[in-house]
Amino acid sequence: MRIAVEDLSVSLAGRTVVAGVHLVAKEGEIAGLVGPNGSGKSSLLRTVYRHLRPSAGRVLLAGRELSELSPAQSARHIGALPQERGGDFELTVREVVAMGRTPYKRAFAKDDAEDHRLVAEALTRVGMAHAPDRGFAQLSGGERQRVLLARALAQQPDVLVLDEPTNHLDVRHQVELLALLREQRRTTLVALHDLNAAASVCDRLHVLHRGTLVASGEPREVLTAELLAEVFGVRAAVIEHPLTGDPLIAFDHRAPVGAPDPGVPGPVAPPSGRGAGGAAGTRAGVIAPPPVVPVTEVTGVTVPAGLPAPASVERQEVS
Amino acid sequence: MARAATTTDATEAVPDTGTDAYTDADPAAAGPGRRGRGRALRPGPLAALLTAALLVALTAAVSLGSVDIPPGEVWSVVGRRLTGQHPAPGTRDLIVWQLRVPRALLAAAVGAGLGLVGTAVQALVRNPLADPYLLGISSGASLGAVGVIVLGTGMGLSLTVGGIAGLTVSVAAFLGALAAFSLVWLLARRGGGFSPLRLVLAGIGIGQFLTGLTSYLVLQTGDEQQTRGVLFWLMGSLSGATWGQLAVPAAAVVLGLVLLQGRARGLNAMLMGDETAAGLGVDVVRLRREIFAVTSVLTGVLVAVSGAIGFVGLMVPHVCRLLVGGDHRRLLPLSALTGAVLLVVVDLIARVALDGQEVPIGVVTALLGAPTLLYLLDRRLERN
Repeated sequence: MRIAVEDLSVSLAGRTVVAGVHLVAKEGEIAGLVGPNGSGKSSLLRTVYRHLRPSAGRVLLAGRELSELSPAQSARHIGALPQERGGDFELTVREVVAMGRTPYKRAFAKDDAEDHRLVAEALTRVGMAHAPDRGFAQLSGGERQRVLLARALAQQPDVLVLDEPTNHLDVRHQVELLALLREQRRTTLVALHDLNAAASVCDRLHVLHRGTLVASGEPREVLTAELLAEVFGVRAAVIEHPLTGDPLIAFDHRAPVGAPDPGVPGPVAPPSGRGAGGAAGTRAGVIAPPPVVPVTEVTGVTVPAGLPAPASVERQEVS
Repeated sequence: MARAATTTDATEAVPDTGTDAYTDADPAAAGPGRRGRGRALRPGPLAALLTAALLVALTAAVSLGSVDIPPGEVWSVVGRRLTGQHPAPGTRDLIVWQLRVPRALLAAAVGAGLGLVGTAVQALVRNPLADPYLLGISSGASLGAVGVIVLGTGMGLSLTVGGIAGLTVSVAAFLGALAAFSLVWLLARRGGGFSPLRLVLAGIGIGQFLTGLTSYLVLQTGDEQQTRGVLFWLMGSLSGATWGQLAVPAAAVVLGLVLLQGRARGLNAMLMGDETAAGLGVDVVRLRREIFAVTSVLTGVLVAVSGAIGFVGLMVPHVCRLLVGGDHRRLLPLSALTGAVLLVVVDLIARVALDGQEVPIGVVTALLGAPTLLYLLDRRLERN
């Protein structure tokens, strides 16, 4: 199912955290949400799984406005994996996954054979079928995330919404989880901190900055050295991944954008112009911190002024 | 895959016990070298066991006391009453049917209610160390009751428990509970929240304030007898239970169980967090309001008839979680049963521990409960 976010704004305690965002995740597409901390990624996702109500705009699920559906109805289509990790309440893995059946159940209804089957199937899918009776609180971080994904799968959703699913996971578990996501071939909306992971897993990326959408498109179009400098405030070169051919972002971890110029005494002098990254670095070096991104509204897509709008930035289809 | 199939088959083969049977799992499923849950007891047999224990405890509670009456005789007196025959002659009927049976049943009802509320409140604020009194309801009830006792005596009301004055105290306690509930509600809902933290902070704040007022009132009375009465009430007591007092709490507990049980899946989802619950189609704010309202009214009713009996609402959910796990569909009814058994036994101890003097029930629950709580905390820390 296709999910469309239209002119969405979210306010928290009077502060606007998401302002006029348009984006679309097409059927079977993995749409990635990237942006610095506080850019509004989580708030946007929360409106999709209906933890927050938009202050303006709407979310469309296969063309139907989400607010017209009851919470249980939309939960039958949208499975969420929020950042919460759950407390210690003596729940087993199976019980946690069985929660995925909640939107299908009336009060007092028991789990039937179909529910048991779906729970077992979801556990198998994430490779946790061997441990249905282990305590959820006793699992490792990676196992926990897999179980929570199984819960979302037991919901039989058409759309998966995941907020930083790879947080606190070691590299191997990150790879496993993201591979699982790709296998699903479901419409997916995922917020990711790791830009390299986002670049290789997502079909399209949407970049949020201070609550507004500043770029949308395929990873290689969106992730440019200029954007990384302006939005994330980092110096980086974008090269080709030697194994996969995906865009690979090589960050300069030694100095942020606007760090002391070469010549000014510092721990390490930044390298001067070498290839594309070097050029970006030189360019980024003249932008004063914090990066101020003036935005111009172009037919529903906001593109920061001064950023070359990628030719293929999607013109949002507003139905 | 084979494992999953086996488990499903086993689950289907288990006769319907009234609770979900899927805890019946292959013990080997816990995986080699990993610590499984070690839950030996299935909910069905456990419920049967607890029901039997409740009957035994009730019989013992009616049988033992200043005058011991053999269990056989207890049941014959009760049997005569239940079958509409002439009451047993002499004081037997008075002691068994008029004094001890209502008290034992009240203990069961209050215990069941406290177990139930404790479980629900812990899920409500997502904190396993919460108890029914955390949200300030009991402080309101105490203020209401103490206010009537202290001020009412000044107006010429006597303090005969169980009589008209006893009823007045209960009504005042319940009104106090409702007042506290309203205040906490108003504070907690500001900003559209009803978040666990807001609820807890509002509850603690209001509770402390009302407790302060209560202490002030207690200090105002110079009458030593009265102070004793007030303290006894504050510590909790089931003395002077009558058949007339039984109906309201019993009905409230049954109604509360039904209302909470119907929301058990929502409570489960809430354990994982508000966002998770929202993602599962649970209207979290509404559910939390409902649970808060149900638990508050139930707490108010319980405190109105028995005073603030501590530790039961804290301990029972923990013990039950260790036995059957955290799924509220099983946890709620079993907490009610366990609470009932526990409080009947505790009240029996409170009555017979000292010759010729009754120990406030709150003293017994605290003396038994505090070590139990410390043990449980120790276990938790050890495990994590």
